Amino acid sequence: MLDIGWNLLFTVINLVILFVAMKIFLFKPVRNIIAKRQEEADAARTEAETMAAEAKQTKAEYEKALARTAAEREEVLATARRLADEESEKILADAREEAKDIREAAEDEGERRKERIIAEAGKEIADMVAGATAKAMGDTDDSALYDAFLDKVEEKA
Amino acid sequence: MDKMNVKTVFTIPIFGGIAVSESVVVTWIIMAALILFAFIMTRGLRTNKISKRQAFLEWMVTRLDSMVGGMLGGHAKVFGEYLITILLYIGIANIVGIFGLKSPTKDLNVTIALALMSIVLVEAAGIYFLGIKRHLHKFIEPTPVVLPINILEVVTKPLSLCMRLFGNVIGAFVIMALLEHVVPIGIPMVFSLYFDFFDGLLQAYVFVFLTGLYLTEAVE
Repeated sequence: MLDIGWNLLFTVINLVILFVAMKIFLFKPVRNIIAKRQEEADAARTEAETMAAEAKQTKAEYEKALARTAAEREEVLATARRLADEESEKILADAREEAKDIREAAEDEGERRKERIIAEAGKEIADMVAGATAKAMGDTDDSALYDAFLDKVEEKA
Repeated sequence: MDKMNVKTVFTIPIFGGIAVSESVVVTWIIMAALILFAFIMTRGLRTNKISKRQAFLEWMVTRLDSMVGGMLGGHAKVFGEYLITILLYIGIANIVGIFGLKSPTKDLNVTIALALMSIVLVEAAGIYFLGIKRHLHKFIEPTPVVLPINILEVVTKPLSLCMRLFGNVIGAFVIMALLEHVVPIGIPMVFSLYFDFFDGLLQAYVFVFLTGLYLTEAVE
């Protein structure tokens, strides 16, 4: 119990060995795993933050694009409407013009036809008169001339 | 009396025979148990979905860390693992009597070794972190009058550490032996709870606490 000697030295050696062994087998693995977990947690956090930032940026870009698209659509629509209006007006004007031409042409045609008919009728009347006159020249009696004229007229009718 | 004496287990046949005492052999057993425990507990550690075993291990280590960390300040933090090792060793050594083994702390060789290691560590830490000049200057702080007391402290610090531990363990053992002699049944169990468990662990804590205090004092 009280005799001091070699066992003191043995105990010191034992304790040093125990300390080193505990460092290797207990503290190092536990600290390593805790540090590793911390590292993983930090990495996950950083990643999440990066992703959130990216998502925010993407959202902003998307919204900007959406706004731009809306503006473009308005512009396109306006242009289209304007073009359509112009087109329709042009078409209307053309149609009006054409209708006027057609009407004028038709009026001209009617006039011409009327004149031609009148001319033809005049010519035929002259022919008939001439024919009747020729026939009547053979007879002395005028009655034959009338008859011939009437026949011609009937024939024509 | 027989139980109180630390017997020689075997003798190494060199230098005219070196006697290896029971305390050293029991220390080996404690070391083996601690290392085996650590080895088994640290198998298959993972960073997530940890087992209950790992959770307990991590809880234990962080608890011991914060407990010892609270005693140490500044540079002395680096001695945390040493202090935990000493805490575990003395704690187990003090209550190992329950398993029928003789407490190594009942051998003066062991407590002297522990105290010597503590004071060597304290002085070495002082020299390492402050430099030899600053370390020596601390002996005459705040006034040169305290120089003899401070020199004396280099001896009294480890002496008190060693004797406190030894005295407590041997005293508890003597009291328990007497109690068992007087009242063999019942009462000794209640007292054993105090003397073997509470006092044993308390002394381990006190030893480590004081060593931590000296270390912190030495490095600041």
